[in-house]
Amino acid sequence: MVERTVVITNRLGLHARAAALLVRTASRFQSLLRIERLDGSAAADAKSILSVLMLAASRGTELRLTADGADESVALEAISRLIADGFGEREQ
Amino acid sequence: MSRRTKRGAVAWRGLGVSDGIVIGRVLRVQNGARQVYRATLGEDEVERETRRLRAAVRLSRRQLLAIKARAEKELGADQAYIFDAHLLMLEDRKLLDEIENFIRQERANAEWAVKVVADSLLAVYSKIKDEYLRERGSDIEDVMQRLLVALSGGERSHAHLLSEDAVIVAENLLPSAMAELDFERARAIATDAGGWTSHTAIIARGLGIPAVVGLRELHRHARTGDLIIVDATQGQVILHPTAATVEKYKATAARASRARAAAAEQERAPLFTADDKEICLRANVELPAEYEGVKKFGARGIGLYRSEFLLSSRGTIPSEDEQCRAYQRLAELTRGDGATVRLFDLGGDKIGGGANDAEQNPALGLRAIRFSLKNEDVLRTQARAIHRAAAHGRLDVVLPMISDLRDVRRAKRIIEEERARLEKEGIKTGSVRIGAMIEVPSAVLLADRIAREVDFFSLGTNDLVQYTLAVDRGNDDVADWFRSLHPSVLQSIRRTLEAAEAAQIPAVVCGEMAGTPAYAVMLIGLGATELSMTSSSIPRVRRAVAEIRYSDAREIALRCLDSDTADDVEELVRNEFSARWPRLFTPETLPAYKHKK
Repeated sequence: MVERTVVITNRLGLHARAAALLVRTASRFQSLLRIERLDGSAAADAKSILSVLMLAASRGTELRLTADGADESVALEAISRLIADGFGEREQ
Repeated sequence: MSRRTKRGAVAWRGLGVSDGIVIGRVLRVQNGARQVYRATLGEDEVERETRRLRAAVRLSRRQLLAIKARAEKELGADQAYIFDAHLLMLEDRKLLDEIENFIRQERANAEWAVKVVADSLLAVYSKIKDEYLRERGSDIEDVMQRLLVALSGGERSHAHLLSEDAVIVAENLLPSAMAELDFERARAIATDAGGWTSHTAIIARGLGIPAVVGLRELHRHARTGDLIIVDATQGQVILHPTAATVEKYKATAARASRARAAAAEQERAPLFTADDKEICLRANVELPAEYEGVKKFGARGIGLYRSEFLLSSRGTIPSEDEQCRAYQRLAELTRGDGATVRLFDLGGDKIGGGANDAEQNPALGLRAIRFSLKNEDVLRTQARAIHRAAAHGRLDVVLPMISDLRDVRRAKRIIEEERARLEKEGIKTGSVRIGAMIEVPSAVLLADRIAREVDFFSLGTNDLVQYTLAVDRGNDDVADWFRSLHPSVLQSIRRTLEAAEAAQIPAVVCGEMAGTPAYAVMLIGLGATELSMTSSSIPRVRRAVAEIRYSDAREIALRCLDSDTADDVEELVRNEFSARWPRLFTPETLPAYKHKK
């Protein structure tokens, strides 16, 4: 299992489009992917859009990503890059 | 908000967000709470029920895929990502497992399971603090409604139900319902919720069909097939009208349609007031669906292109090449008349990818020019795209939400740097004029100074009213305070136009005011010679302009400038306009204090 801490940087946070992108990306991997708020108030399965939306992660929210499975390193890298890039919104 | 009249006719007051009168039959579009009943299944029925659920999910997915494709095509890719999110919800194992488990454990029918699971999800959502994220609850609702309809074996699409005279009546039109409707055939829209800037309003104006919103309880009282009159010009809806009322409205509608036909004949010709002052009417454009109207209604080019609608196609900022192609298409569309591209106006209440800023006070936050200056690479990319596209036709650029000369100077410097860089790279560019959007009180006060440093002014009246009167234009509760004819607003417009005139630069007025004949006449009286509006408004404004004398409009405008209150201005306008131009304005077609009891 691998894990990493990331911060949401795009302006609108994990809104519908960003969440959709995240779930589409996560679903490409076999590993179990979890996202937790660092403040411990919520955790989500990265392959479920409803649970991702329920993180209510606005800009500045710190999240812990964990990946567990055959392709865990690639998966973790892909998800953290997506978040670090602000979901391609280019507005940081 | 209803008033019962003789013999069962009921009149409803709302907000007319487009123009025109339609007499038709109600088509009730349901997307509110559906009655769902609980049934207890026998042990042997449970498996069949889960299969029924899965079939409904498959049907819903097929519908959503079709809607998504259609939304991309007709609404300009804009809201397609919403449907992608909806699709993902239907693929969400967590959701489907939860519903299936409920069916198994409770031996409940699928409808009931869907409803219970959805309600518990919505309850969690309603606690989210971030307003924008919390609103995603409406997406869940939308998806659940679709599932429930699919379970009942029904098509959710209302398209096939649209008769020739269908008037859409809904509590609120959710995005997917909007996309599913056959716009070609819907004659009018009436909704309980919604304001001037809602989805419904924007799309109705773009398509040129009458729409009245904010009708509160109309949906509950209307039944599909009921006779209904939608008078968007007056913001009124009449359910079960009497024969006499129908006759009256038929006559009014016929007059209006004759006026439109007459206007269409001469729409391409230059436009003059009766005393020979030339007035130029241009088009406001956001969605590709509106391009057709620019030609059809005879606009003299595009006075305002809201470029952020391009951005929201996927929520990301399009590449330089993508932008260049879009701007080039605009320039070519307008031929010699040219188009004015407003830099991304992100933030505030705009629909699309920049919607509903997470800031506490988005209207006063990091939006428009501030956003572009803080994200310089975004500004540079956009500037390059505009310069390149300008090689193929006339394009101007306008800086939104200028509140300070410093913003003008910085933006101009960056835009110029990119032109120089393109030149050095040997890439062809065209000359681009740079203007300032005047919509903030500080810019009005310093208009004379700003005028010396820009090539033209654009007056955004919607925001000018909002910022001058400190009234949120999307908030129904303060709609009574949103007064376009407030003396302070008129003085701001006058002052800005005078500054432009003194500096000998053109000024175009491009808020919603310009598209309403009475307001357009007022703007001309205040000194405006260029007006930009939703293109479907052009014919009626054209007709009004041709009929009035500028000198009369000016005289009335000067008296209005000297009024104490918006009420005084409106009374003056009602009396004077209807006395001077009885063929154009009757007292009931003039601005009135709509929310008065």
